[in-house]
Parts: sequence; C-alpha cells; structure tokens
Amino acid sequence: MTNRVPSKRRVAICAVAQTKFEACKWNVRMQGMLWEVVDSVRRQTDLRFGEGSIEAAVTVSDDLFDARTISDGAITDVVGAHYQSEEKVAADGAQGVYYAAATILSNRHDIVLLAGHCKESQSASRNRITHLAFDPFYTRPVGLDYLAAAALQARAYMARTGVTETQLADLVVRARRWARHNPVAQEAGALTRDEVLAAPMLADPIRESFTYPVSDGAIAMILANEKHARDITDRPVWMTGVGSCYDSFFLGERDLAGNFPLERAAKRAYTMAGITDPANAFDVVEIADQYAHQLPQYAEGLGLYEAGKGGKWLDNDGPEKHNVNRSGGMLAGNPLILGGMARVAEAVIQLRGDAGSRQAPNAKRALAQGATGPAGQLQTVVVLER
Amino acid sequence: MSSKKESGQELIVSRQVLSIPQRFSTGPVMGRFLRELRDNQRIMANKCPQCGRHQLPPREVCALCHVEATEWEELGPEGTIRDFDIVYYSSPDPLTGETRETPYVLCWAELDRTQGDAPLWHLLDAPDLSKVRRGLRVRVVFAEERNGTMADIKHFEIIK
Amino acid sequence: MNSKNRDVAIIGCGMSKFSSHREEVNQPEMIHEAVVEALQDARLAMDDVDCVLHGNMELFEMVHQPDMWHVLGSGAWGKPGIRLTTGGTTGATLACAADNLVASGLHDVVLAIGFEKLQEGHATGGITNMADPLWGRSLQTGALTGTAAQKLIEQFGEERAKHAAMKMRVIMDENAMRNKKAHRRLRLDREHMKETVASSPPLVGELRMIHMCSQSDGACAVIFASEEKVAQCGSNPAWVVDHETVHREETLIFNAGKSTQRVAAERLFARNGITDPVREIDVFEMYDPSAWWGVEWLGEFMLCDGDEHLRMVEEDTIAIDGEFALNPSGGVQASNPIGATALVRVAEAAMQIRGTAGDHQVARPVGRALASGFGGTLWTVLMLLSKEKP
Repeated sequence: MTNRVPSKRRVAICAVAQTKFEACKWNVRMQGMLWEVVDSVRRQTDLRFGEGSIEAAVTVSDDLFDARTISDGAITDVVGAHYQSEEKVAADGAQGVYYAAATILSNRHDIVLLAGHCKESQSASRNRITHLAFDPFYTRPVGLDYLAAAALQARAYMARTGVTETQLADLVVRARRWARHNPVAQEAGALTRDEVLAAPMLADPIRESFTYPVSDGAIAMILANEKHARDITDRPVWMTGVGSCYDSFFLGERDLAGNFPLERAAKRAYTMAGITDPANAFDVVEIADQYAHQLPQYAEGLGLYEAGKGGKWLDNDGPEKHNVNRSGGMLAGNPLILGGMARVAEAVIQLRGDAGSRQAPNAKRALAQGATGPAGQLQTVVVLER
Repeated sequence: MSSKKESGQELIVSRQVLSIPQRFSTGPVMGRFLRELRDNQRIMANKCPQCGRHQLPPREVCALCHVEATEWEELGPEGTIRDFDIVYYSSPDPLTGETRETPYVLCWAELDRTQGDAPLWHLLDAPDLSKVRRGLRVRVVFAEERNGTMADIKHFEIIK
Repeated sequence: MNSKNRDVAIIGCGMSKFSSHREEVNQPEMIHEAVVEALQDARLAMDDVDCVLHGNMELFEMVHQPDMWHVLGSGAWGKPGIRLTTGGTTGATLACAADNLVASGLHDVVLAIGFEKLQEGHATGGITNMADPLWGRSLQTGALTGTAAQKLIEQFGEERAKHAAMKMRVIMDENAMRNKKAHRRLRLDREHMKETVASSPPLVGELRMIHMCSQSDGACAVIFASEEKVAQCGSNPAWVVDHETVHREETLIFNAGKSTQRVAAERLFARNGITDPVREIDVFEMYDPSAWWGVEWLGEFMLCDGDEHLRMVEEDTIAIDGEFALNPSGGVQASNPIGATALVRVAEAAMQIRGTAGDHQVARPVGRALASGFGGTLWTVLMLLSKEKP
C-alpha cells in the first residue's frame, strides 16, 4: 500500500521559529512561550491572521503534559484562531507537519500556522505521565513507562548489533559538541566520554546522560502552497515525502531491536519523494534520539547503512558523514512531543542556509524523523528539499 | 457425570487513583494579576493597545488584534451583574474533592470602567436568591488570607 | 475557498452500543466493535484502509497517547495514522481531518475513530479541568449553565420557552426510542411533559437533569474514501461537500458576541449557495448538549432572527417525519460518548443520506444533511454532506 503522489500541488515550509529549549521555563506559562515563536514566524513572513493570509492553525500539544483538558483552549488567541479554525494534533510534532501539509495539499487552505508547545517541567515526573500510556491491566502494573520501554529496546538492540555503551557515550559527547553551535539547544555543555559513562543508571542500560533531558519549549512554522510560498519567502523548503506507521502495542509482540514501523514509514516517504538510495540521498539527517541508542537504531531503520552494521557505521564516523543531528538532536533537549518537529525545524534551517556554524555545506535535501509512543511505536518520516 | 453450567463471567474491575503533582507557572501576565490580588486587593486587567479592550483573565495576546496586550488598568471593585447561574448541583472541586453547599450563585459581573466583553466570573453572596437579577450592583470582597490565587477574591456582595 | 483537490465520500459507518457502563469491554474492545461494523458497512477489509485517525478527550480516562494501546482494536498496526483531539468537537475534527487527508491525495481510504469511556474516569472532573488552573478551575461546574434557559425565557416568556425546551427533549427521546444504539431511551410522553420537567431535579437555574445530555461510553468509526475508490467499489456514498471550524478564545462567557454556531453556518452556507437552510437541507444532526441549547442553537444554525426556531419545535417541523428532521438518532441528549459524539453526528447524517439508519431513518429522500460538533470554549465544527457528488 503506497501513498499516491498528490497531483498538481506542492507544500512548503516558509518559516520556522523555536524558543530556546530549557529545563524549566518557570517565568512564562505556555501562552507566553508559544507567542514568542508564533509572533516570530508572523514577523518573518509579514503575514497576518485572517482570510487570505494565515487562515488556520494546526497545533501540537498534549493534555496530560499540560494537565489541562483541551489544552489548546488556552492558546486559541495566541495562534490567531479566535473565530477561525484550529485543529490539535496530540502526538509527536512531526505528525503535526504531516497533518498541516495535508490541509494544504487538499487545497482546503493556502497558508497554515503550525504551532507546538510543551512544558515537561510542569509535572512532578514525566515518567508518571508516560506510565499512563500503558494499559491499566497488563503493562501498567509492572511499572512500565517510556524510559523502561526504551531500556528494553536498548538492551535488545545492543545485544543484536554489538553496539557498545562506549560507542553510545561518544554519541552523547558528539551531541554536546554540535549543540554548542545551536543557539536554541538546552544542553550544550561539553562532556567527556568518562563523564558520560559515570552518569547514574536510570534503567539499565540507559544512563541519565543517554536520555533526552526534561525540557520546555515551543516551535512554530508557516506552511503554504506553492503559489503563496513563493510570495512569502525566496527560500521555500518543499515537503516532498511523508510517511508514518504504527507498530503493535505489547512490547513482547514487537521486534524491539528492529525497525518495523520506521522502515514502513520511511518507505512511504521515500516512494513519495522518489528516493531509492536513502544511504546517499540526504545532505542532512535529523533523528529523534530520545535515548542515545536510538540514533544508530533509527538510522538503520531509515536505511542510512546496511542492516545490522550499526557498530561499524558508528566506528566509521557514520553520523558525521551523514550529517546526523547537527542540531544536537533530542539529546541536547527537546520535550518529548516536540522531538520530531524540532527535527523538521532543523532540517528547514539547514536547507535555507540559516544554520550558522553548524551549517551542512550544499544542503539540498534533508530527512527528519519523529517518534511517538513506547519505544517508538509510531514513527513519522519527512523528506524536505530546496 | 453431571456438568455444571457457568452462570456468567465475573467482571474484574481495577480501581486506580491517579495523581501527578503539577507546578503551574503563572507567567508575567497572570502572575501580575494574582500578585495584585494578594498584595493590593486590586483587580488588574490588561488592555490591548490597539482596540482598547480589557481582558479578564489577563492574557498575553489580544485575540482580536493579535498583538501583546501590554497596558494595565484597575477595574471595579464595583460592577453590574450581566449574567448569573443559581447552582443546585455542585460538582466537586478537582483539587480538594469538596463540594459547595447548594444552592449557590455564580455571576458574571462587568466591573466599572471595563471596555469590551470582560466580565469577572465569581461567586455571589446572596442569602436571598429572589434578589438576584441582571443589572444588580455588586462589589468584590477580598479574602482575609490571600495567597495569590483566585480564592483571594472571596465573592461578590450585593451593594445595598 | 478553493475547490478540493479531489472529492471525498463516507462509505461506511459503525458504532458500539452507547451506554453508561460498558463494563464488559475494555477500551480497545469497544473500539473494535465500531471498527468491525464500519468495515462491514463499507464492504471492506482492514487491508483496504490506508490511514487510521483516532481521538478522544484523554483527561477523562487518563490514558496517555491512547492510540498506542488501542492499536489492539483500531487496526492501525502497520498503517499510518494521526491523533487529533479538540475536546467535544474531536469527532467532527476527525471527520474534517479525514476529509482533508483523502482530498490531499496522501490516502485513499481513511478510517476515523472517536471514542470515550466516561465510566472509566470522572466526566465532570474531566470537564472542570478544562478551566485554567489559575483562573476558573475551582469555580467551574463542568459544562452546566442556566444562562441559555435564562436567555430564551427573557426573549420568549417563561411558559413558551420552557415548553419549547421540554418539547425539544421529548422529540429527541421519541427519536432515541427508534435507535437501538442510543444510551438513554426514556419513553417520555407528550401528555405529561410539564410534570416530567417539574419533577426533574434542577442542576443550574432552569437547566434540569431531564434537559441535560448523558455521559456515555461508546465508540464510532467512519470510513472516508476518495472519488476514485468510490467509483471502484460501487459503494453507497455520502459526499463530503464542505466543512467549517470556528474556535473562540478561552473565556467562557455565554452570550458574548456572535455565536460560533451562527458564524460557522453563515460561512458554510454562503460558500455553498444555501440561502434557505430549512428548505435546502433535509436532516440536521446537531450536537445538542442540552435541550435548552438545542432550541437556542437551532435558531443560531438556521440563522433565525425572530421566533422561527421556536415555531419549528412547536409545530413539529423538527420531528422525524417533519420538514427538517433534527437528530433522528436522538442526538446528544440521548447519547454522549464525548470523544465520539461529534463523529456520531457525522455518521448519523451520512446514514440518513445513504438510507442505512434503519428504524430511525427519515422517510423522505435525503439529499443534503448537516452535522455539527460543539466543545471547548464554545467552538463549533459544521459539516455538510450530500447524496449527489459535488
């Protein structure tokens, strides 16, 4: 079952804005945090809210993280949806990109604001929230949460591929190194391999240093159809491929060391974008590495190297050669549900040539991936091109 | 050998109480409003510099003009009832689980000097329900002990 | 608005039974009921579906990302899908999203699933948590207010207004009695309406228990297909003509400015050349959280200026055999599994067009049907369906 390429229309991302991601944005509430980026993209594009301009908003947020029913109700005014349309995607932000693009490809809207926010610092424990993703009868009583699920995934992956803890530690060091070049990155302090390996174990084999930090932040984008994109910006970034896929729910039914949903999601996106050789197709790759082992694991699922050869890919400087996560990745700090959206944002910034000292040279085509659910049960892949 | 028919399957029910403590930021806008309640017993609304409408609760952005509402003005403490609800069925407070004694009255009162649609919504102290009507003049009563929450406003009282 | 990239139709609908306590099924099992029925109705297999949408109000059941667990019953394994949640309007937003996704060309067959298992949470608490924790949360009384009743009473006089609200309630129940899936089927009778109201406990003002919608468990699944797919399957389509979503800022002020219902209707009708909605539309599945709002919003959606909406109730125009059938399903007053409710409105409207509503099928041929969703801080989603391809 393949995606049909939509006829005639194209959709572009015309502007992005991100807040600095921080461990605790205590001084703003979600409204103020989101307004910063919404106002930024509006100024960048010189658009206004209303018919003929930004006619609709697609938002990304999560009621449990916000501790508020219909949390998008708090930000209607911020996203210009008073007496206008707003539709909330309650999943990883890459899904928001997917849906916002669909509203334009369907020809319903010409210009759409996509805005996501999350304050992980607000609740006492994000693990308590992700614990609630597990069913009340079978998986919740054993104490599973996304961290524990990722730990099972990590152990399975490392056992199958031989990727070592040391290799993962080097990825964390690398993430910090690139994060220093990203003004919005949260964790940019240098770490040595030894420091990474000395960090406390949270859920074997995942150490605190291998985990995406608790993070607050917001991201906004403007998407438009071809006609309007060319008016709005001289450097539109086209979404040429998108795909997503769900895996099963019970961890025991899944091949945790494998990449079933990601391979399918990637295949859909690649088919749509006409990509047959992913290992050599992209100038920039952004992977949602909530946990360090997911960087090589998802890189494999995306087809960046021969299956099973993750250790070799890492040893041969694979992440550098593929320009993976020059943003610092999720390890440098994004809240859970904005991980994929931040990956798309970085891809856009790279393709527009706005990435400053972390700019990948001659960036023409980028790959962004996001994940939702336990151990990446739902994967989303986006292909972007200049 | 006789067989015994099962009469039905027992339904197992799992009861869980879920609670995740939260720490909500008030931000500079709501934060100021709550501080003014606590420290100065004043109702401060913010105001859109473009259309001039007041906002209660104060919000970062004016929904009509899409600009930051940066000006602040004190409203009330007296006002006029615009709408009210006599509540006979009390739902539990989500934090304390307590229910109010019924009947009680909630009202939307437009505080004096308000521009635009920004009534203040709160309890009305109304021992005689038959006196409650639109257009009634009321005054905000502050609580003795104030902590920077909406409960710093005790209720509206009817101005005699 | 632009013309759609390609046309989209509803080709299958399914619903679980709605009830206060579906204790014999868990969440994915309940969803599975609706999905199976929808696939059977569309004469499709799960393999034919290429995207699954999912939505509910998660703070009710306190399950995080429920679409993950619900893969067990939704059929989303191995497929793309998107989760959308917009409070009470969720079901209608899912329908709009399905329309957008199929129209976009990204997918040919989209299954939209809305559900709620209110019995597994605290419904009023869930709604109360909608309020800003710093502002109204300790005051909010769930979704209850007597202001709608007050407004109608002031406009039309106590007797006439109360009568209209009660008559609306009775007509909704008469329809629910014909709907096997409906949750509350009370057998209300017209003769004893006044006594029934008087003996019903008041909740807020003149809003009484009898006027108020239920809190239900239930799931609804609707299958949307592209025009090419419809031509291929030869199914019985209800075409999605258009939809309009109107939100409002977060202040819960009733009677402030134009209602989103009226704005949505004005825009939708203007775009589609509808100047006399009562005559040009045959069925309206309206999201009516209470009988009072039902009466008020009938006027808002039909753009009434005087007392036309009251007369429509008084003269049985809105009855199932009337000129403008309102909620032949029994509406939200009969069944309210919140995350599904607005999708049920779309499904019921589609069923009327397709002639598959069984005992609550409107007898006249249905050429056009309207469905509305309500939720959040007085938001409206309005969708127009037709028998003829647009």
